[in-house]
Amino acid sequence: MPLFARAAAAATSGAEAKQARSRRRLRASGVVAAAAAAVLALSACGGGSAPKSSDGKVELRFSWWGGDKRAQLTQAAIAAFEAQNPGIKIKPEYGDWSGYWDKLATQVAANDAPDIIQMDEKYITEYSSRGALLDLSKYQIDTSKLDEAALNAGKGKKGLTGIAAGINAATILANPAVFKAAGVAIPDDKTWTWEDYARISAEVTAKSPKGTYGSAAYGTDEASLGVWLRQNGKSLYTGDGKLGFEPSDIAAWWAFLKDMSQNKAVPSASEVVEAEAAPLDQSGLATGKNGLAFWWSNQLPALEKASGGELQILRFPTKTGKASDTKLWYKASQFWSASSRTKHPEEVAKFINFLTNDVKAGEALLADRGVYPNSQVRDAISSKLTKADTKVVSFIDQIKNELGEAPAPPPKGAGAIQEIIKRYTSEVLFNRLSTEEAGKKAVDEMKSAIS
Amino acid sequence: MSAIGELSTMSRRKGPMSAEEKKANGRDNKAAYIFLLPWLLGLAVITIGPMLMSLYLSFTDYNLLQPPEWVGLDNFFRMFGDARLHNSLRVTFTYVLVGVPLQLAVALLIALVLDKGLRGLPFYRSVFYLPSLLGGSVAVAILWKQIFGTTGLVNQLLAMIGIQGPGWISDPSTSLGSIILLHVWTFGSPMIIFLAGLRQIPNMYYEAAEVDGATTLQKFWRITLPMLSPILFFNLVLQIIGSFQSFTQAFIVSGGNGGPSDSTMFFTLYLYQKGFGQFDMGYASAMAWVLLVIIGAFTAINFVASKYWVFYDD
Repeated sequence: MPLFARAAAAATSGAEAKQARSRRRLRASGVVAAAAAAVLALSACGGGSAPKSSDGKVELRFSWWGGDKRAQLTQAAIAAFEAQNPGIKIKPEYGDWSGYWDKLATQVAANDAPDIIQMDEKYITEYSSRGALLDLSKYQIDTSKLDEAALNAGKGKKGLTGIAAGINAATILANPAVFKAAGVAIPDDKTWTWEDYARISAEVTAKSPKGTYGSAAYGTDEASLGVWLRQNGKSLYTGDGKLGFEPSDIAAWWAFLKDMSQNKAVPSASEVVEAEAAPLDQSGLATGKNGLAFWWSNQLPALEKASGGELQILRFPTKTGKASDTKLWYKASQFWSASSRTKHPEEVAKFINFLTNDVKAGEALLADRGVYPNSQVRDAISSKLTKADTKVVSFIDQIKNELGEAPAPPPKGAGAIQEIIKRYTSEVLFNRLSTEEAGKKAVDEMKSAIS
Repeated sequence: MSAIGELSTMSRRKGPMSAEEKKANGRDNKAAYIFLLPWLLGLAVITIGPMLMSLYLSFTDYNLLQPPEWVGLDNFFRMFGDARLHNSLRVTFTYVLVGVPLQLAVALLIALVLDKGLRGLPFYRSVFYLPSLLGGSVAVAILWKQIFGTTGLVNQLLAMIGIQGPGWISDPSTSLGSIILLHVWTFGSPMIIFLAGLRQIPNMYYEAAEVDGATTLQKFWRITLPMLSPILFFNLVLQIIGSFQSFTQAFIVSGGNGGPSDSTMFFTLYLYQKGFGQFDMGYASAMAWVLLVIIGAFTAINFVASKYWVFYDD
């Protein structure tokens, strides 16, 4: 603000003669400053629209979230596509998960949405039900080789608004180095129960140096809650877009976590809050501070790279100790979606078709977005996969016969659920609310978020 | 202030203007407006335009993806039942009512010390002003997060004397305090203004007081503070307005969610979450206008109250 600079200048020059008048002026300038500053409170930022084709080429904007590794792989796939289609240019836009959705919402509102959008199941209904996504079934995209469950996940009332980019499963990843240092054996994931999980985690903490814990805390996203609910005969959402559980169900889930927290099986409440904000490569699992942690299967290669050692994929524990009761499911890790306002739907479809069905795309993308849903591509690239990728693919294969039924798709407003879970998890861990109170309040809030 | 003073002498010239002078004046005005044009255009397009739009949106249900629908005062009525909004008001008021007086007290104290005529004053002034430039930045907020983390610098120092510190920013009972501290640390800009004000208090008052045998404390209460009150008032108004709108620090330190447990959920942060996270831009716009009214009310109260404590010696 120039006012400050003036004041500083006055301090050195010492304009004593004018002081009396300037003081009166100050009163007036205070009013002006107040008005100006208040006005700033309301000013928002506008967005510009991207220019179209500069050299006669069709230019498509393609946005995704993810880290450096994903960016490299995706750029390679784009290069392969552009080599095949010299008339089309793909302009990448990528960033972190946390900023991605704010940005996308703003872009869509400003009529400036990217042509091709990497979409998540939490938001696909939000966008598609409001007409922001293109019905891809109307364009030439071959879906015959796709896994049926994966294909269905992208279908909704507004048609096929997303094509699965990969298949995923909720897992617990183990860091063998932590277990080895503690002298504890990695549990057998085909027989372990939730009690085993809690006991072993506490044991690892007890036998590890200060600051290392047997397990990361769950309660920071809905995947672990989903598994817990399914094992208890409930679900996150029902088929008609309602909440599929009661306050007592989520309270029991928190009560179990609180017990673990009291036994130091999981980090302290403060450390849990800090871990939430850490990026993948600084997570407790990657830095060797946690023996076990909750991740999606496709995140293993990136985590191995960050940790510098091997990690092991485990099934979730069960109530019964039988792997057939794990009730895991195949999740579409991400979707390829397109803006309903794209000016070049044919070209967009061509690109999505390439990503979905072309072996060249598969060879570039490998298993970074999960196991390829196109069985033909999956087979064709199997020899090219890294050791870490192969581990993921074989895990997805192994659990094939243990899967529960496909969960209902998240309804409109589901994007807010994770934040609600996180917030009340810390209320519980900090002993600010009892698990019952937290359950009641959280369910109320969730209901109004998805209504 | 000297510039403002000069402007006022220009406009307050005695005697009627001659025709020639008037003409020259008109030319000057025209030139001024031409020079101001870029700023005026910016004000209209970037500030006034969006403001009017947000006023309209505050009476609508607008989810960003579909055209807004008129709902009248619905958004404002919904605020009465929104417990998280009430919490965000509590957090913001605590921040303003604790942070602003603390910051001004520190700023005045440092200004008084610097006014004693230290050697290398420009250097110290710059050093103390630096946090003001940096304090609102993302980088410093990230640094703050590191310093006050469970294994951060503060706790490492505490551990040396055998104290196990809490996770200052990750514990809901200390997180807001950490952000208030960050605010207090940026005392530089009010300090510079205080320093300027102190320089303008005529020495003769102090000399007279010394002759009468006044103590240092008496001189401060009876001379410095009253003479400085217009400056104090100016700082108070600016800081209150600025603090109500704080966003960056809480956004970065809490990782964007106002956590833990909404303990750093500022009004502006909640507004942002509502608008961009939950697709409730109509409600968010209404919140922005409520904030404007709150800031307006506080500023008005300030101006009314100033009659009773601000002393103008002319």
